[in-house]
Amino acid sequence: MKSVRVFFVGGLISYRALFSWLNPWVYVPSFLVMPIFQILLFVYIGRSAKLQSDSFYVIGNALQFAAIPCLFAMANTIAGERNQQTLGYILITPARRLPLFLGRALPVATNGFFVALFALVAGSAIVGTHVAASGYAPIVLVIAVSAFACTGLGLINAAIGLVARETAVLSNILFGGLLVLSGANVPVHDLPIVLRQVSEGVPLTHGIAAARKLASGSSVGSVLGLLGAEALIGLAYAALGYALIRGTETLSRRRATLERA
Amino acid sequence: MRLSRSLAYARNVAVVEVEELARTYRTSTGILRRRTVEVEAVRGVSFEIAKGELFGLLGPNGAGKTTTIKMLITLLLPTAGTARVLGLDVARNAREVRKRIGYVFGGDRGLYERLSGLDNLRYFAELYGVEPRVQKLRIQELLQLVGLAGREREKVEGYSRGMRQRLHIARGLLHDPEVVFLDEPTIGVDPVGARELRATIAALTDAGKTVLLTTHYMFEADALCDRIAVIAQGRIVAQGTPQALKAGVGEGTVVEIEVYGIEDAVVERVRALDGVSNVGLEARDQKQVLVVQTLPGRELVHAILGHLHGSEVGRVSSREPTLEDAYVALVE
Ligand SMILES: Nc1ncnc2c1ncn2[C@@H]1O[C@H](COP(=O)(O)OP(=O)(O)OP(=O)(O)O)[C@@H](O)[C@H]1O
Ligand SMILES: [Mg+2]
Repeated sequence: MKSVRVFFVGGLISYRALFSWLNPWVYVPSFLVMPIFQILLFVYIGRSAKLQSDSFYVIGNALQFAAIPCLFAMANTIAGERNQQTLGYILITPARRLPLFLGRALPVATNGFFVALFALVAGSAIVGTHVAASGYAPIVLVIAVSAFACTGLGLINAAIGLVARETAVLSNILFGGLLVLSGANVPVHDLPIVLRQVSEGVPLTHGIAAARKLASGSSVGSVLGLLGAEALIGLAYAALGYALIRGTETLSRRRATLERA
Repeated sequence: MRLSRSLAYARNVAVVEVEELARTYRTSTGILRRRTVEVEAVRGVSFEIAKGELFGLLGPNGAGKTTTIKMLITLLLPTAGTARVLGLDVARNAREVRKRIGYVFGGDRGLYERLSGLDNLRYFAELYGVEPRVQKLRIQELLQLVGLAGREREKVEGYSRGMRQRLHIARGLLHDPEVVFLDEPTIGVDPVGARELRATIAALTDAGKTVLLTTHYMFEADALCDRIAVIAQGRIVAQGTPQALKAGVGEGTVVEIEVYGIEDAVVERVRALDGVSNVGLEARDQKQVLVVQTLPGRELVHAILGHLHGSEVGRVSSREPTLEDAYVALVE
């Protein structure tokens, strides 16, 4: 019961405490305007170079943009404890660590979900692409799973940020990596073989592929494999991220690494 | 061994037991040519705090007070020695210790700036597992206690230093801990507020809580503490009641003489006087004050003034030794 409250109530309070982009002057341009620019950029490149369809880029970039909230917010809400110098106070509470840290992932993933959904709806409307009606509900599910998977990567990002005391550099690098590797803009089979293998192992790749299929009218049954793969990748990353955070905590008690400001 | 310990605990002998506790920090600097520096912050300290006792840990900057506290509150593992809080080992039983202790660190950081004071407290109430039904009332009580009631809905980024300090104290008491560690809790609080906080701290032990306090204000330690340990360079150099520590300087008196530009040789001659136990030269405002501690039953004012012949001398006074005199004698 206590842990349930730490997960839901605590997670939300700390998200508000540590994620500084919630101010509308930052939120709207960063989360609602930027993804539209990104979608338009790639749609126009695609058109002028006669590459993929508009819909390919709209779906790819809308989902890939979830990486911005998921990577940045996840790192800030955990590694941000270092800047506020609140980490020591957190670590001496008896609260269970799983709900303490993963509770912060829930608002992050939820926000990532809404950002990607908004980008898809607004992007489609602006560019004039359509999604098969049968795909509406399942695509919403795919976006949710993709945002969750991306938040898993965010947890690893957060663990590194906790030690490095810097979150923006790695968040940007990971975002850039996903831009190339997730299949958002370059079809995975066009990537060099090594990168293709990496692509199979990163979040978003399978989610984007599933969303494209659903948008073109494929049945839910035909994307279950992709959806499962995306969820598994998310779980694996989240587990690794959480383990890294716990490892840092344990190490810090011995080496006094974390409570230094 | 185990039996005797539980018996001792049952008799409420010691709530905090520290044995030969030590902590070394290892830090590396430089990226290409890494150099490792070792700091022995705490070098084997031992003390015990009984239930309901207010125990002071005094010592110069960098003496190892905060490091000792960080080990007791389970934030840092000792590199040697042991510490138990309420019979629980701080290294092995961290979670059980955490449930029962509160920690207040002086300073204006360590709060969520973008949240209100109330939300800061709410968050930690959740982390300490304070029942939702109890939470509201408890937070209101604490806001009253530390004098923040009415300001709790404002964001912490707009709080003054003293307000932050008060919020720290409220946070440390949210879960009604049995043992409270206060690391310079009155730093930055105005005189009236500090007096109120001292009353609050005294009330904690009246309510049966055990308190470990560090402070650089000697009068505060003297007024509050049942017992004091003085720590310097990671070692305890004296331990006892404030009275005992003061007596340790000598039952004698302290003679203070205002001087202006006195020579070192003169100070040394005063120090050499028979019956003088310690001499210090302090700067106060524009002048210097020669502080001479004398052995009991000695009237040395004339002899001292004799040595000051030729230098300009101001007000002369004598008084009982204070805790500060004892402290200065111990750590110098
Ligand atoms: N995280 C750390 N890493 C390396 N050295 C540290 C660390 N924390 C403290 N030290 C060193 O350990 C020594 C003791 O520091 P500590 O903070 O315990 O002193 P203190 O008695 O609390 O001093 P103050 O009165 O200034 O608060 C100092 O030399 C300090 O530089
Ligand atoms: Mg200190």
